[in-house]
Amino acid sequence: MTDFEAYRASARAFLDSVAGEFAKDARKGLTVEEDLALGRRYMATKYDAGFGGISWPKDYGGQGLTHTHKLIFDTEEAKYGMPVVYFGISLGMPVPILMHHGQDKEFAKERVIKALRGEEIWCQLFSEPSGGSDLAGLRTRAEVDGNGWKLNGQKLWTSWAQYCDYGVIVARTDPTAQKHKGLTYYWVDMKAPGVDVRPVKLAAGDSHVNEVFFDDVRLEDSQRMSPVGGGFAVAMHTLMIERYIATDSAGFGPPLDLFVELAKTTDYRGRPAIEDGRIRSQIARNHAMRAGLDSITARAMLMMQAGMEAGPEGSLNKLVAVRSRQRLSELAMDLKGQSGFAYSEHNSPREEWTNSWISAPTGRIAGGADEMLLNTIAERILGLPQDHRPDKGVPFNQIPA
Amino acid sequence: MSILYDEGQQAIATESRRVLEARTSKDRLLKLLTTTGEVDQPFWDTAVEQGWTGLAIPEEHGGLGLTLAELGLVAQQTGAVIAGAPYLTVGYGASQALVAASVAELQAAWLPKLSAGEVLGTVAFAEGTDPLPAAPATTYADGKLNGTKPGVTAGLTADIAVVLASHQGRPALVLVELADAQRSVIDSYDNTRLYADLTFADTPATLLVDGEAAATLALDLLARMAVITAHEQTGAAEALLFTARDYALTRKAFGQPIGAFQSVKHRIAELYGFVEIARANCIHAVASEGKDNFLIAAADARIAATDAYDTAARDTVQIHGGIGATWEGGLHLHMRRARSLAVEQGNLMFWEDLLVDHLGDAA
Repeated sequence: MTDFEAYRASARAFLDSVAGEFAKDARKGLTVEEDLALGRRYMATKYDAGFGGISWPKDYGGQGLTHTHKLIFDTEEAKYGMPVVYFGISLGMPVPILMHHGQDKEFAKERVIKALRGEEIWCQLFSEPSGGSDLAGLRTRAEVDGNGWKLNGQKLWTSWAQYCDYGVIVARTDPTAQKHKGLTYYWVDMKAPGVDVRPVKLAAGDSHVNEVFFDDVRLEDSQRMSPVGGGFAVAMHTLMIERYIATDSAGFGPPLDLFVELAKTTDYRGRPAIEDGRIRSQIARNHAMRAGLDSITARAMLMMQAGMEAGPEGSLNKLVAVRSRQRLSELAMDLKGQSGFAYSEHNSPREEWTNSWISAPTGRIAGGADEMLLNTIAERILGLPQDHRPDKGVPFNQIPA
Repeated sequence: MSILYDEGQQAIATESRRVLEARTSKDRLLKLLTTTGEVDQPFWDTAVEQGWTGLAIPEEHGGLGLTLAELGLVAQQTGAVIAGAPYLTVGYGASQALVAASVAELQAAWLPKLSAGEVLGTVAFAEGTDPLPAAPATTYADGKLNGTKPGVTAGLTADIAVVLASHQGRPALVLVELADAQRSVIDSYDNTRLYADLTFADTPATLLVDGEAAATLALDLLARMAVITAHEQTGAAEALLFTARDYALTRKAFGQPIGAFQSVKHRIAELYGFVEIARANCIHAVASEGKDNFLIAAADARIAATDAYDTAARDTVQIHGGIGATWEGGLHLHMRRARSLAVEQGNLMFWEDLLVDHLGDAA
């Protein structure tokens, strides 16, 4: 047994031992608050068992193992439906950035361990009403205020902000510079005076994202995590840090087996729908697409285990998988016909086609809209030109609003 | 094999690409479209000289004893240059039928010659619109074959064929020398595929396998040929992807390269997705040879690759505008090949059905 296989076995053993207390079945019927509380207990249990911060340095409270170990654990963990969704962004981006760019190592270490144990949660305050895909178009401003800074403005689509203790934020410190060059990166205390978090209810009925308003919020200069005007580079680092996250060829919707089962047990015109050519074609096309993505992921894992850099084709996963999940979900609803009108926002998009369908647009927008991903493939992988950019080289305050 | 190619396999891919790029001529291929019964001789001479005819034939029969993986890598390169002869895939099918049937005297008589490229083999399974008939109308009895096989790839020039027939009401695979068959020329949209209707009238033939074993072997051979074809389709789609990319970088309109317009740029980025998903499925399929999931993996590869090549041919022509639709531009060579390969070795409907049937078994 290789080291990695042994690690997978130990991960499974741990997950099996706690599944009864924390996994999918234990979460049924819980409110978000109850589920979050369960999640915090799970994170502490996981940390105590040595599976928290797997690939992070030991002197920050991590396990000091490789990224492959982390991917192996995440892949196994995903099969159990553990209550980890609240901590995904926190541990995925802001907290690693704090380790890299935080000024005070002791403060950072204390935060890292509390975040790993689920005691504290961090959010990422990037998107704004006027800057989503165009991140550098953001308007929230930080102005010099004595020996520190004063923050004013509004962020939007901030996941889990209503439960967060801290956040990382990019703000404009020089409106007369070109848009990418006038930004600075800070961490912010989400409980500080002047911070106002208002949940935004999404189409599916849930409210995991928020508007966050900042009204004269005081920042110490020790909260600054980039050179003044050097915030965009740190923001890019934040977005690149988890280049190979655990992927899912089902696009975080239901597995194809569930569709096959539905087609077998649903009659259409007096025979099982699985015998209908249109249904068969869609099953086959989706199977081929998912098998291809799975093979890409498997190859990337092997390459990383062998110490090589994985190919850029991994960037296809979210683009291709979520888009087809959306269509397959629609087809599943067609199949169910009049017997499929019932809906509850508490069902999981990984198990119910209606929940998968109505939350799919979020998946196609968050973390890089389809159009941005296509641009990235075209420009970074294929060497095609950038789009026409009228704002290039222009001071931010002279760009027409 | 692993789903990572080893150094030897990578070398085969690089070397085959190098020789083929040096020896391919679009003008020759265009000329061949208007003739029947001819192949691009420099291409075929190269294939024989490089030993590709014997790549997957066991060493004791004069071959190199390599696997589907190596042949697939060569097929990717032949697809990229729109191979001027169809023998690699169907010749593989014929030779593998002989290997599997294990009749010593037939193996001794044919495999060394197939391996050396001295004899050309093909496979004739399809009838009507069915790529793999369960009860073929072509019959074999008492050493004689009767019936017609339509649209046989390489049928115009192959020396021998492995034919799916009925024998005493059960399926059988038989070997037949085509010198004794009647070949009816098909003037096609892709003439270097050498399509012919083959008619057998008391044509002498030799039984290779019969009964359930023949049906199983025929499906296995078809799947393996489909995997090679999938590699060929993937290589061709990738070549088109780069052709489209290069054109979009050089062709200007409205004061900028057309590749700066998202309608063009995104179309090309989507092609990249088709190609990489097809490639990943091809690798998965060759790594699954001999395993329980091989048929499913072969179907995945075939479906993804057919989709990739059809889409790439369609979109690359569109991106080229008017020049893409001209005879001299030559992109129609890919349009034609995309369709001929999509139909040979079972069309999309066949593989979709096969995949769903096997998923049903597995579930």
